[in-house]
Amino acid sequence: MKTETDLTQLEARAISKRYGTQRVLDHLDLALNGGEVTCLLGPNGAGKTTLLRVLSGLQRSQTGELLLDGARLDFHQPDARRQFGLVMHQPFLYEHLTGPENLRFYARLYQAELPEAQLRQLLTRVGLGKTRPVPVRSYSRGMKQRLTIARALLHNPRILLLDEPYTGLDQQGCQLLNSLIGEEQANGRVILATTHELNHARQIASLFAVLTRGKIAALIPNVGLSLDDIQLRYQQITQPESVAAA
Amino acid sequence: MKNWLKTALTLVWKDLVQEWRSRDMLTAMLSFAVLTLFIFNYAMELNPASRSEAAAGIIWVVIVFAGTLGLNRSFTAEQDQGCFDALVMAVPELSVIYVAKLITNLLVMLFLTVLVIPIYSLLYNQSLFMPMLWLVLLLGAWGYSATGTLIAGMTVQTRMRDLLLPILLFPLLMPVNMAVVKAAGAVLAGSALSGYASWVNLLLVYDIIMTVLSILVFEYVIQE
Repeated sequence: MKTETDLTQLEARAISKRYGTQRVLDHLDLALNGGEVTCLLGPNGAGKTTLLRVLSGLQRSQTGELLLDGARLDFHQPDARRQFGLVMHQPFLYEHLTGPENLRFYARLYQAELPEAQLRQLLTRVGLGKTRPVPVRSYSRGMKQRLTIARALLHNPRILLLDEPYTGLDQQGCQLLNSLIGEEQANGRVILATTHELNHARQIASLFAVLTRGKIAALIPNVGLSLDDIQLRYQQITQPESVAAA
Repeated sequence: MKNWLKTALTLVWKDLVQEWRSRDMLTAMLSFAVLTLFIFNYAMELNPASRSEAAAGIIWVVIVFAGTLGLNRSFTAEQDQGCFDALVMAVPELSVIYVAKLITNLLVMLFLTVLVIPIYSLLYNQSLFMPMLWLVLLLGAWGYSATGTLIAGMTVQTRMRDLLLPILLFPLLMPVNMAVVKAAGAVLAGSALSGYASWVNLLLVYDIIMTVLSILVFEYVIQE
């Protein structure tokens, strides 16, 4: 078990991102701690995916900076992006390669050791242990999502950014994902997940961060909150007028 | 350096396996090349004497136009499933993606050339199995792939990528086109090396400059 001082901390300071005249992130501040699962909530178009892309270095922000363990994160450094494990809307998988081939390919890119036994173990962790080695194009959406999660984990990233990770997963898949996230949390990873699946998120979140109008409008610790409590707090923040009217 | 090279070869392996299994790019390029050769064959009723003069131009035009189809696919295939983002996250340096794509595109161009030349020979009844001609085409394919890979990487993130690629690429390829056609024409006319050495030198210099320049700027080109 890692001590509190060993744990990774990722901090976003005054991050702004504009697309043309549309301001998506507006001097946003957010601190993410190792061993915590932060669930990012927000209405459609609030900028959740953009925030994840900026945090991972896939997009540059117009203002602000990212700090990793207190030091400025410079994405021009060769290994800066490799500290992130990313699950986005698109699966990042090659359709004509099999599942194991995709994982071996990414492991080689990350220069991560992935012996056959470890590969099997990883596939089993995401519930694909018994899947025949067929090209990914014949996988269902849920199977692709499971493989995507395995791909994000294979290089033991310090930070996991998950964009709608429950998409396409059945009930069993969602439970499996929650237990995986729990294991990674215990390993001290920084975990940020965007989701609209509050019921599933409630089981794993340490903290809910509500993104609206380009800023983190509230941080809600997940302590003894029921699903109704979370929904009410969320609506109070994102749609205060309609809650007041009701 | 060893890791960089290993990463580049891993990316090339992936591209070739993907292409071999899907045959998307090769099928389109080869069909286009054969059809264009047939069109030239019927559109230009050439007598045996003028065939030699036109051969270099026809072959290079066919290879360049068919190659453009391949260039377009080389990066859009990555975009389809968001894989380009995954590569950006995983590789130690972004220039390695450029080098891998350059090698893949060059191999595909050479494969296309190897198929186009015999078809041309059959259709036009003209032997083209000359080592110097192959060298000129190799240098031309290298210059084409070096420039084309950079421009394809630049345009892939735009909505009008299919239109933008040829519009941006062809002006930059003018020196290559000119040098290949002149040098290949001289080879086919039976000239001595001294008669076209300056064109070969131009090709070599262009290839080296474009490759080095592209490696240096690729990271900035593909980032926002």
